Amino acid sequence: MDCNKRIANVNALGQLCDALRARQTDLPAEGRKLVRLCMGASCIASGAQRVREAIEQELAAHGLDRQVEIVETGCMGPCSGGPVLVIGDVFYEQVQPEDAADLVSEHLGKGKMVNRLTHRRPDGRSVPHAGDMDFFKRQTKIVLRNCGQIDPRRIEDYIARDGYQALAKVLSADQPDQVLAELKASGLRGRGGAGFPTWRKWKFTREAAGDVKFVVCNADEGDPGAFMDRSVLEGDPHSIIEGMAIAAHTIGAAQGYVYVRAEYPLAVERLTHALGQARERGLLGKDVLGTGFDFELEIRMGSGAFVCGEETALLRSIEGNRGEPRPRPPFPAQCGLWGKPTLLNNVETYANIAPIVLNGGEWYASRGTDGSRGTKVFALAGAIKNSGLVEVPIGMSLGDLIYDIGGGIPDEKQFKAAQIGGPSGGCIPPQHLNVPLDYESLSELGAIMGSGGLIVMNEDTCMVDVARYFIEFVQEESCGKCVPCRVGTKRMLEILERICDGRGEEADVERLIELGEIIKDTSLCGLGQTAPNPVLSTIRHFGNEYIEHIRDRRCRAGVCPSLVNAPCSSACPANVDIPGYVSLVAERRYAEALRLHRERNPLAAVCSRVCFHTCEEKCRRATIDAPVSIRGIKRFMADQEVTFQVPAARENEQNAKRSVVVVGAGPAGLSCAYFLARLGYQPKVYEAEPRPGGMLVQAIPAYRLPREIVAREVRMIEQLGVEIHTEMRLGSDFTLRSLRAEGCEAVFLGVGAPHGVSLGITGDNAAGITDALSFLRTYNLRGSVPVGRQVVVIGGGNSAIDAARTALRLGADRVTVVYRRSREVMPAYREEIDEALAEGVELRLLTAPVEIVTENKAVAGVRCVPMQLGAFDRSGRRRPERVGEAFVIPADHVLAAIGQSLDLKSLSDGVQLARRNNVFIDVDHATGQTSQKWIFAGGDAVTGPSSVVEAVAAGERAARGIDMYLTGDDHAFWRDTRPVDTYFDPEAEPVETSREKLRLIPVERRRHNFDEVEQPWQEAIAIRQAKRCLRCDYGRRECEGTYEVS
Amino acid sequence: MTTKPCTACQEASEQERFSQFEDVLQEYAGQPGALIPVLQIAQRMFGYLPEAALKKVATVLRKPYSEVAGVVGFYSYFSTVPRGKHLIQVCLGTACYVRGGKEVLAALKDSLRIEVGETTADRQFSLDVGRCFGACGLAPVIMIDDDVHQRVRPARIGRILDEYRNKEAAAKSGGNG
Repeated sequence: MDCNKRIANVNALGQLCDALRARQTDLPAEGRKLVRLCMGASCIASGAQRVREAIEQELAAHGLDRQVEIVETGCMGPCSGGPVLVIGDVFYEQVQPEDAADLVSEHLGKGKMVNRLTHRRPDGRSVPHAGDMDFFKRQTKIVLRNCGQIDPRRIEDYIARDGYQALAKVLSADQPDQVLAELKASGLRGRGGAGFPTWRKWKFTREAAGDVKFVVCNADEGDPGAFMDRSVLEGDPHSIIEGMAIAAHTIGAAQGYVYVRAEYPLAVERLTHALGQARERGLLGKDVLGTGFDFELEIRMGSGAFVCGEETALLRSIEGNRGEPRPRPPFPAQCGLWGKPTLLNNVETYANIAPIVLNGGEWYASRGTDGSRGTKVFALAGAIKNSGLVEVPIGMSLGDLIYDIGGGIPDEKQFKAAQIGGPSGGCIPPQHLNVPLDYESLSELGAIMGSGGLIVMNEDTCMVDVARYFIEFVQEESCGKCVPCRVGTKRMLEILERICDGRGEEADVERLIELGEIIKDTSLCGLGQTAPNPVLSTIRHFGNEYIEHIRDRRCRAGVCPSLVNAPCSSACPANVDIPGYVSLVAERRYAEALRLHRERNPLAAVCSRVCFHTCEEKCRRATIDAPVSIRGIKRFMADQEVTFQVPAARENEQNAKRSVVVVGAGPAGLSCAYFLARLGYQPKVYEAEPRPGGMLVQAIPAYRLPREIVAREVRMIEQLGVEIHTEMRLGSDFTLRSLRAEGCEAVFLGVGAPHGVSLGITGDNAAGITDALSFLRTYNLRGSVPVGRQVVVIGGGNSAIDAARTALRLGADRVTVVYRRSREVMPAYREEIDEALAEGVELRLLTAPVEIVTENKAVAGVRCVPMQLGAFDRSGRRRPERVGEAFVIPADHVLAAIGQSLDLKSLSDGVQLARRNNVFIDVDHATGQTSQKWIFAGGDAVTGPSSVVEAVAAGERAARGIDMYLTGDDHAFWRDTRPVDTYFDPEAEPVETSREKLRLIPVERRRHNFDEVEQPWQEAIAIRQAKRCLRCDYGRRECEGTYEVS
Repeated sequence: MTTKPCTACQEASEQERFSQFEDVLQEYAGQPGALIPVLQIAQRMFGYLPEAALKKVATVLRKPYSEVAGVVGFYSYFSTVPRGKHLIQVCLGTACYVRGGKEVLAALKDSLRIEVGETTADRQFSLDVGRCFGACGLAPVIMIDDDVHQRVRPARIGRILDEYRNKEAAAKSGGNG
């Protein structure tokens, strides 16, 4: 069939389309097979070209080269799986040249699918068909209809899929108003970012006076993170030509330009090729399809100026000038290219035109939301499993896009933010995962739809650094024409650099907001008017990170170099010098190592048992094999202690005379007292229970944390001059007022969050329901507690798991933990859940209790309903929703562990303290100071149930705060970086030792007793493990203090 | 229009290239908006924009030299100093930035012993920073000439550079033999 000659008229085009389509349907009948190989830029970068060559060789070797046709398509979407290819309806990913032999001999030769190359779900299940893959299932492809289906270099492929039929329809009907009506009905809005209704733009240009008009396509896709325009140009260039030709006919233009950025050479090459083909066939040029319509289209290449994405700047650049924007109005619709009316749309907008013309505006408008119709292409990138290009109906929730299509966050990291809209956009935090992706909802959150680039960030991203990055970007790209953008962004950048460098000032956040608002209001073009968005949105949603950078000189993500010696130390809430003590352990200098640890955290032995080690999650060794076993090394180090190893304390006669009281001898209170003592204070600690330790001895079971370990570190703190008085309860034995009356100058409240939250369901007052925390407390302090035979624990936190394992040890026959969400989001530590299961605890996930079934007013069972995960809630987790029928789990004892709270009213005795969420105490994060200047607080009483190390850190901050309050000066000498003289050879390759776990005693030997489960390593193992440290701190100690005396 | 560096041009002497360029230039004389396309062609032919070429452009297109220089200075694609045979662009787009683009850039600077915007002493490589090549799914990426290299690890930099050095060596020995 000859489709290389000029297509004479509309009918001929129709016939050609039918013939080409018939030929494709005949393929299988003739025994011919198609291999569609993705030749998108990403797959080429992954080696698609070599895969193609290997397949061709194999086909020739098997004599199949005449029966198999290889179609090189544009981007199929799932870039992270590349190179990808499709045979029949089987989708293969990560195909390497070596795989060609199997694909050809098995699939193409014998018709047998090659299972090992098919897509796998996270659970390992093979999903051979694209339509069943999570990535494709919820997509609706209109813009991307041909991408990945056709060979972009063959116009006949495009024509066979109704290509140029819309143009033919428009030309033969010759009713431009009808096109405008369909566009209006479709509700299509400009996909370049601003979302201006497309039909209105077209109408204005059509109605503008003048014989000469232009159509222009903005393909200067400059937003970092957006690559949909590129993929359309590379994968389906004719769709842009057709869309622009329809536009030209509608508004009355005869000349068009596509402005493509210089960074997209492949797009330019394919579009150039497509233009040539369209001219040959008479679909461009003089007398298109014999209808008398003339339209010529040329490519203009950008030259690396981001501002040229702005429409007036783009037009000036096409004219051959510096790409500087000019004020609007007049809008390009009136006065554009060379002063003529010009229609300017983005690539994605033009790609939507042909389907809307063919199928009608109503058809398009049936997708999307009321204000935002149709579909939108998003480019998923960053910390996401399935990165790539997706097209979904507008209004899908951000969480669905990231988790259902994108597959969630890799490496078991936490989602932190989604950056959407590039340098003009903003960051969306986890509590807004449920936001529908439409123009209005996004701008309410301070982000914008923009071009649709969506970059997912995990906990390793510092939001202040992200803001700095974007301001640096716009600062460099600012054309310099208007002052607010040129100078304002420079000033913002200076402030942000100062904050990231640890030189931030208290008022900096306000300065940034003020500058940002002014720049938004007064800049000339869109670049300046949106430039402050990334800063303003990160301040809005991640303000505490700015505060941490400025006040604590801390970057928790471990990114800002001046604030980070090593990412592990930055991740540690107490900022312990981890590489320091680990390297000392490697040199068998255990006493020094311990002292270094206790510079920032006195409870080394306690934390070596129970710390949830965020340090290990940030360990850079993970990029080589697995993180350093920091807690295991700490455990070995702590076990070597013979005499107390305490770092420097400073005697101070003045301080010793001051009266400071710490309420509560839990980790926060102990830590506060310890650091106060190191400054020469002699604080008194009042503890309500008979034994000091707080949750360490009341809630955490002895099999995790032997009591003598706690007692020893408490004794160490007492030896520093801290007096601990037990059985002194705030509110009954003494009050805040009585302390004040006795001359107490400052108080630290470390009272915890000791009260359980009631279940709030029918029957929750029956006999046999215990709050898990008081169950644990009773057993741990008194040595015995009643336990049923069939125990149901409700909740998913550490208290729930501790209570379950304790109940099992105390003789319960069956212990079931009921949790309404999924295991991935259980707040309890992963290791603890694993051990609980190993010991025989049953876990009923996605199960919510709705009623306590009673018999004679006593518990007989828990009525539960199965749940499924629905939309995202404010915690960034999926909200469980009821599905299916209720069932009863028989039980004679229910332990409720669904939350903890604090009864501040009865404690504070009329002293008013500002509260957070109406429950916990509100404090200044940096100093622990409450709304009463002389009262400080920290630990669970401030944060709600949290970790030991968080409490230790809060105690330290408050000790520093109290000292500053009493003396007016900052003396926290332990915050200075210490020199560590351990040997390190930066040129040496890292040792190859793999990560070792701590040994556990066998399940049968621990199920019925409270012996410590974890066993220490031998010395040789501990030293080998310590030597795995990459010493990220190397060479960074002299150049900075993490703290300066101000 | 293609952006592949024309090998014939590279082999040709400065003189020959100049006369080739003048021929191309004449085709654009009198066309509206020709300045930028002409500069792009010159940049590809010479590898940079020699002053003589800019003066020629100004004369033929009947534009003041200041306007030509103003346009050249505005766009980052244009360079008025000679560049290396291979242009390395490290993407610091958002996705690459959050996936370790900074470390890749540091490794390249280390390995080539040049800063951003500079060219190695042997005129083999020039180093630049790019803002997103649209290959975000494979971050971090670098672009050498027109090839995109994906998921670049700082440790792999040496091997990637060798590929280009060897290509050069192979081409040379082929040309001589």
